[in-house]
Amino acid sequence: MAKKQASHAHKKNRNVGIVGIGQTEYSSHKEYQNQAEMINEGIRAALADAGLKLSDIDCVVHGNMELFEMVHQPDMWHELGTGAFGKPQFRITTGGTTGATLVCAADNLVASGMYDVVMVIGFEKLQEGHTTGGITNMADPLWFRHLQTGALTATTATRMISEFGEERAKKASMRYRIMMDKHACLNPRAHRRFGLEYDQMEDLMNTSPMLVGELRLIHMCSQSDGCCVMILASEERAKQITNKPVWIRDHITVHREENINIFGLKIPETTHHCAARKLYARNAITDPITYFNVFEMYDPSSWWGLDWLREFFLLKGDEHITMLENGDWDMDGRVPLNPSGGVISTNPIGATAMLRPAEVALQIRGDAGQHQLRHEVRHGLASGFGGTFWTVLMMLEKELGW
Amino acid sequence: MAEYFGSKVEDIFNTMPARFLPQGVAGVDVVIGYDISGEGGGRWTVTIRDATLAVAAVAELPKCSVVLISDPETFVGSALGKIDAAEAFGAGKIKFTGDITAVLNVLPKAFSPFKPVVRAGAIIESMPERFKPEKAEGVNLKIGYDLSGADGGAWTMLIKDGTCTLKNGLDSDCTVTMRMAADVFVGLNTGKIDPAAAFGGGQVKIEGDIMAAGTTAKLFGKFEAAGAQEKKGEELISLKCIPTINQRFATGTHMGKWFAGLKDKRIVGTRCPQCHRVLVPPSEVCAICRVRTDDFVEVGPKATVCLIDTVYYASPDPLSGQVRHTPYAGAYMVFDGGTPYESFAMEINPKDMDRIKPGMKVRPVWNTERSGTFTDLLYFEIDD
Amino acid sequence: MKKVAICAVAQHKIEPDIWYKRFQGMLLEILEDIQSQTGFTFDEENGVHDIVTCSDDVFDARTISDNGMTDVVGAHYRGEEKMAQDGLNALGYAMSMILSGHDDVVYVAGHSKESQGESRNMATNLAYDPFYARCLGFDYLNAAGLQARAYMAKSKITDRQLAQVVVRARKWASRNPNANAREQLSLGDVMYSPMLCAPIRTRHAYPVSDGAVGLLLASEKRAHEFTDNPVWITGFGCCMDRYFLGDRDLASNFALKQASGRAYKMAGIKDPKKTVDVVELMDCYAYQQPMWLEGLGLADDGQGGAFIDASGPASYNVNLSGGHLAGTPLIIGGLYRAVEAVLQLKCKAGEHQAADAECALVQSTTGGAGQFHTVLVLEH
Repeated sequence: MAKKQASHAHKKNRNVGIVGIGQTEYSSHKEYQNQAEMINEGIRAALADAGLKLSDIDCVVHGNMELFEMVHQPDMWHELGTGAFGKPQFRITTGGTTGATLVCAADNLVASGMYDVVMVIGFEKLQEGHTTGGITNMADPLWFRHLQTGALTATTATRMISEFGEERAKKASMRYRIMMDKHACLNPRAHRRFGLEYDQMEDLMNTSPMLVGELRLIHMCSQSDGCCVMILASEERAKQITNKPVWIRDHITVHREENINIFGLKIPETTHHCAARKLYARNAITDPITYFNVFEMYDPSSWWGLDWLREFFLLKGDEHITMLENGDWDMDGRVPLNPSGGVISTNPIGATAMLRPAEVALQIRGDAGQHQLRHEVRHGLASGFGGTFWTVLMMLEKELGW
Repeated sequence: MAEYFGSKVEDIFNTMPARFLPQGVAGVDVVIGYDISGEGGGRWTVTIRDATLAVAAVAELPKCSVVLISDPETFVGSALGKIDAAEAFGAGKIKFTGDITAVLNVLPKAFSPFKPVVRAGAIIESMPERFKPEKAEGVNLKIGYDLSGADGGAWTMLIKDGTCTLKNGLDSDCTVTMRMAADVFVGLNTGKIDPAAAFGGGQVKIEGDIMAAGTTAKLFGKFEAAGAQEKKGEELISLKCIPTINQRFATGTHMGKWFAGLKDKRIVGTRCPQCHRVLVPPSEVCAICRVRTDDFVEVGPKATVCLIDTVYYASPDPLSGQVRHTPYAGAYMVFDGGTPYESFAMEINPKDMDRIKPGMKVRPVWNTERSGTFTDLLYFEIDD
Repeated sequence: MKKVAICAVAQHKIEPDIWYKRFQGMLLEILEDIQSQTGFTFDEENGVHDIVTCSDDVFDARTISDNGMTDVVGAHYRGEEKMAQDGLNALGYAMSMILSGHDDVVYVAGHSKESQGESRNMATNLAYDPFYARCLGFDYLNAAGLQARAYMAKSKITDRQLAQVVVRARKWASRNPNANAREQLSLGDVMYSPMLCAPIRTRHAYPVSDGAVGLLLASEKRAHEFTDNPVWITGFGCCMDRYFLGDRDLASNFALKQASGRAYKMAGIKDPKKTVDVVELMDCYAYQQPMWLEGLGLADDGQGGAFIDASGPASYNVNLSGGHLAGTPLIIGGLYRAVEAVLQLKCKAGEHQAADAECALVQSTTGGAGQFHTVLVLEH
């Protein structure tokens, strides 16, 4: 084991473990449930997973993007399904990063000593609203709203083609896409599972309809409905509740200004890169590629996913693409990426960012089923994305005493 | 002929005239080609112009606005809703060449949904299953069905000793023979044609024991089209509601100056007193320095292009539902007098879409009518 | 238990229509005010790393309504999280950020303009389930109307007593330069004002309000860097009641009793009547003042009317700011109440200052007819 360097990480008041994880299936046809019912399905799954009852929960944390379903303060109605009656409750919403933010918030709430067992609910029912309208409404109402069209842009594809050459860049992003689909096919909960094969690469690269520039339909994430629920507990309670708690070591959130000033003559540091270097520095992680056994990244498209690998691991040049070409991000590679299939296959926006730490926790526990990694998973990394290119980054551990 | 989910590829095209919704295609002028290869497939063109429809099966496809390419099973399955069209699309099982928005925006409004075509043969062949032996005590009948026209045929049904058997062909010793066009037979059995009108109007001819003919109806359960049974269980009541709350947004001091500038054909930004970056549009504060920025400066009007986005799929405007004409190009640019990180995004003049490249200089094109609003600045064009 | 301090507070004057500024401009003034009071920075080493905002996406008509505020709350390359319930809960959450060890100093900033949308009731109607209650036309006003009926019957509240609450609120608001509705009213003005949603009269309801607030919170260890006059959060509690109005005993104060019980327990307060010096509560409608006072345990159960007659609100220095009744935007109502309570404890409340304020109680609601309550105990 490498010699540990001094860590400047904040001193956590007390440790927090993930003791329960529940998910619904993700699809675009959940007409048979209303929002409260869908949430209730998620919490029952999480409680069952933890072996707990509602009476064991001290506090509920709830979040989604309310303008998608156009329900004002939905946590009030959802009391019917959340089990929050009589309990403290918090609702925090930050757009695409919401799911991850909710886990950070629950971590803060438990670590603070204010609550011992906290249930976190992230969900979305996109078919009940207008998703593109919802996203476009995040833009300034007097100016940018007229320009924005949902979350589609090909600027990353353009830059990568310019940096690495058209053929290599397009092949890499398609290889990434197919890899994600193969993982999704091992995940029975994943929304879209196409059964793509690598020999379709050339064909898809050139025939999948272009949405914007080289961002093609095949590269883009889905719009899914579903709910993810996690239960967090203090160290003392976590050890009573389960023999495999997954510890939240640290988390960081990095936002950027309202104007998306990242497409100019000079490009500022991405929030992904900033979050990674600050998080690793304060935790004395000098070699993230070696340290982490799995990374669940919030990848809204295969172009972004590929580009952000370089950011999150503080790589340079074409290292991330070479690693892809060498299979280093594969399930049996050096740093397995999105064994769940990632966001391109499943994207219930309010829950999507929560699925990332949830899937990492399942890997650490050895409970990921068909998409379980074969090697032991001790150190996990999970990211959330949203807003004007914001990042939430979280470290999870199998054992205490890091 | 090959059937998929109980329907044929050609059914979809043959039913288009009946399913056509002229009120949904005002202003549409499009030729959609279909290239369905596989058993039962073929090529068709669907032309919609001046709110009229022309459908033709062709050997070779002519020039089309867009061509849909698929295999018969995927094509029929997605038309019936048995296969998720969006997933098939994403997986490359339905492909397009040409202007995809013609399909995405026109087709849903041009036709009512395809429902499986009910064929006379399917109805006749389901009769033994629908037979109610308890009603047929003492009944001894031989019924001939002579159905003419496309999808027609001849069958003989024997009801005897509480059983019902069916065979192809018309026996000569039928108790009663029913003769009609196949589509009339289908209409009668699906409730679309009134029996009194059909019999009275001479569309149905009965030979032999007319009274026996009258008793056959109660011997069989009602015919349900394939899938109709499932639909009953799955019936969704869907309420669509668009909550609208009118808003009055404040520009505030800084965006107010921005719009005032546009009216005067000026591009106005604010310069940070600390880091000197120029924010366009202007902002009350510099996010990096966290200080007030009240130093208004004029930049441009020309700018240097940094990145270009060519948009093929335009999301509908959430307020109006309108879709922009695609493809269109947007560019990220830095103004003369601006600062390198601070980019501005705006559409490019459609005529320059094919020529525009990073590094080029562009200039604004102003609306002749300006009132200090978003539409004052039309787009940017190449400055040459 | 370790404590968290509120080091400084700032509030934008509450007005019926701040058309001449947008949110960013309003919050910039708040930031500058707090920075001038405390000298706090966003320095990467020892400044603020994380910010908690509070705003309402539906009232703002903007998805991720905090994303337009990033620049002005200092969140560029920092963390920021939006509380989507009444902002008093944001203080409880910010407290947990500090007590957890994740942060030492947290900046809290909230904004809202009720004047932006054409109707508050259309917005709150969207809080009801789309199949039943929404179609019936429920909104927070008529839900409150139902509750007012039930409560007035239980606690024998008269129309005259409600008028007294409003008159008193206006009297105090006139001494608060930041208050919205400062026009003095007579009992008759209130009692003869038309019914808005019976039994709630137009004068019983809080006026449409626009505003913004900010607070700086710090750990016990670092509070002294920002103020020599910290106010401590010693108690926090919140509680959710049932959603369907028919499932609730609307006059029972169930959620508020739970929330205040939790807050008192944390603060070690056994007898609030003896300990609490000043109260800032969220009275959107006049009936809510005596009702929440019962829920807080300062008035006895069912004795709200008698409490008003005995000048209970005056004896507990209730809403010397004018309260929510004088006008505060919904989502940040609790934050304004907290700001006013802090000013009382710091002896900075000017003409509406209570004497010898050592312990303040702050309360707010989220949801229709007080479905969710939050209570904060502040001490000097």
